[in-house]
Amino acid sequence: MENRWIAYLIPPFIVTLLLVAGSQFVFIQNSFYQDLGLGRTGTDLTLVNYLKFFTDTFYLKTFWITIKVSAIAALLTLFLGFPIAYVVARMKSKLAMFLLAGIVVSTFVTIVIKVFGLIIIFSADGVINKTLLNLGLIERAYSIIGTQEGVVIGLMHFTIGFSVLLLYSVVVTVPPSLEYAAQIHGASRLRVYQRVIIPLCAPGFVVGGLMIFNMCMGAFTSAALLGGGRVLTLPVLVQRTVMMEVKYSTAASIAFVLLVSVILINLFSLIAIRRLRSARLVVA
Amino acid sequence: MQTWTEKVILFVWCGFSYVFLLSPMVVVMGASLHGGEFSAAIKFPPDEPSFQWYSKIPTEQFEALALSLLVAAVATFIAALIAIPAALGLVRSNFKLKFAITSVFRAPLQIPAIVSGIAFLQLYYLIFDTSGLMLAGTIPGMLLGHVFIATPFLFGTIVAVLQRFDHRLEEASYSLGAGRWRTLYRVTLPTIMPGIYSGGLYAFMVSFADVPMSIFLTAPGFVTYPVELFYAMENDFDPSILASSSIVIVFCLAMLLVVQKVVGLETLLRSGGGSAR
Repeated sequence: MENRWIAYLIPPFIVTLLLVAGSQFVFIQNSFYQDLGLGRTGTDLTLVNYLKFFTDTFYLKTFWITIKVSAIAALLTLFLGFPIAYVVARMKSKLAMFLLAGIVVSTFVTIVIKVFGLIIIFSADGVINKTLLNLGLIERAYSIIGTQEGVVIGLMHFTIGFSVLLLYSVVVTVPPSLEYAAQIHGASRLRVYQRVIIPLCAPGFVVGGLMIFNMCMGAFTSAALLGGGRVLTLPVLVQRTVMMEVKYSTAASIAFVLLVSVILINLFSLIAIRRLRSARLVVA
Repeated sequence: MQTWTEKVILFVWCGFSYVFLLSPMVVVMGASLHGGEFSAAIKFPPDEPSFQWYSKIPTEQFEALALSLLVAAVATFIAALIAIPAALGLVRSNFKLKFAITSVFRAPLQIPAIVSGIAFLQLYYLIFDTSGLMLAGTIPGMLLGHVFIATPFLFGTIVAVLQRFDHRLEEASYSLGAGRWRTLYRVTLPTIMPGIYSGGLYAFMVSFADVPMSIFLTAPGFVTYPVELFYAMENDFDPSILASSSIVIVFCLAMLLVVQKVVGLETLLRSGGGSAR
């Protein structure tokens, strides 16, 4: 019996391993050759691309901006995602499924279309600018293209649908009976949030937040379109280095730095899950 | 028992989130109907609603849409051929390195798509240097990349379904005299079908929406729809793009309705297709 199932596993495993290892190996190896520009590379293995990355303030600044906008976007996404997840999870009517359907559809639509919509909303004669101008809150039309705020909003749109579904799966694990129990014992609603809902959801928030942060770090499309070439993040820099400067090895080294950071965050969240799970068992 | 203030706060907070979430799509669909004065301008809310831009969608956009649909459908099919035996083999067998094997199958999810994009491009260049075969800018090259990003979605949902699978169903089938293949075909596959459908849907949609991977694998005249849109937005565009985007949004909505009919939204959410990411 055992061997029969392993036989099922072997062919797809070989195919996947070839695709994963093959593609990753080639670009990682390329990143260790000196970049001579125009697609040419040196012949000796060297760390010169990485030395350049970690000594050049331009690259370091890009790295820092990537982390900064990703962290802000992840926090704001959690903030906007939580109420939807909580309300839908506690809803008893059919409306809940309808509300979730809206979220699921939004995750299907390509981010390019959503960014398109954002650009229309924030355009010079768009809804937001007109309202703010009429209220006298701003003096001239504000553009989100090429600003860090714009990139943050784009990243939020890239992750919010996913994060609502993720938070929803966290909130449904907290039974409403716990809330009732706390209230019967005299806790106010505020206290129920402080002592029951938030502590029980916290592990999910931490892990979910890290996953969202990771998605933002690797997000290309929204950052490229809303950054408008003025705000660069690592994924945008990778694409521009290939397409505009034709520097494959440099791009490969930037991509590898990105890959390693993302994997480190993943490992960290994996450890966090383990820790929090065992901690939660003690609480329960 | 929620208090009144709490209900109001949650309602406003939720409403704000929904407006934030859905407004770009609503605006795109609304603006696509603009037909008034300076009709080539992009305007929301639209003046004098008309469908004029829908008849002016250039053929390149339809070609790009067709390519995207083709690539997404074939990539999802191939991904299913990889993911179904992989999930069955992994959940059913018992060995020590299971965790390592699972990580390999899930790896494409951990790798940012832009990194996979440049990785596949450089892999294709290497293949070209050694064998003269150019995969970048061809259908097989594009498919390979999309299979890579689509497989983990199917793998994840099928594993999730299999872990809840009742083995007695298969035992019953064997004891009633059905052979190994008959059991697989008549019992096992039908029970994991919801996992295949919902994972397949996510895989299809991820492939259909992809920019960062495809952008490296396109060639002039060989562009997927999201990449076509991406380039259009970097340059000048006219509202016909809004019209084709609206068609795509409606298509996504239709896909959801199909899934709702076939497996039900609850199965889709429970099988963790979304959280596979």
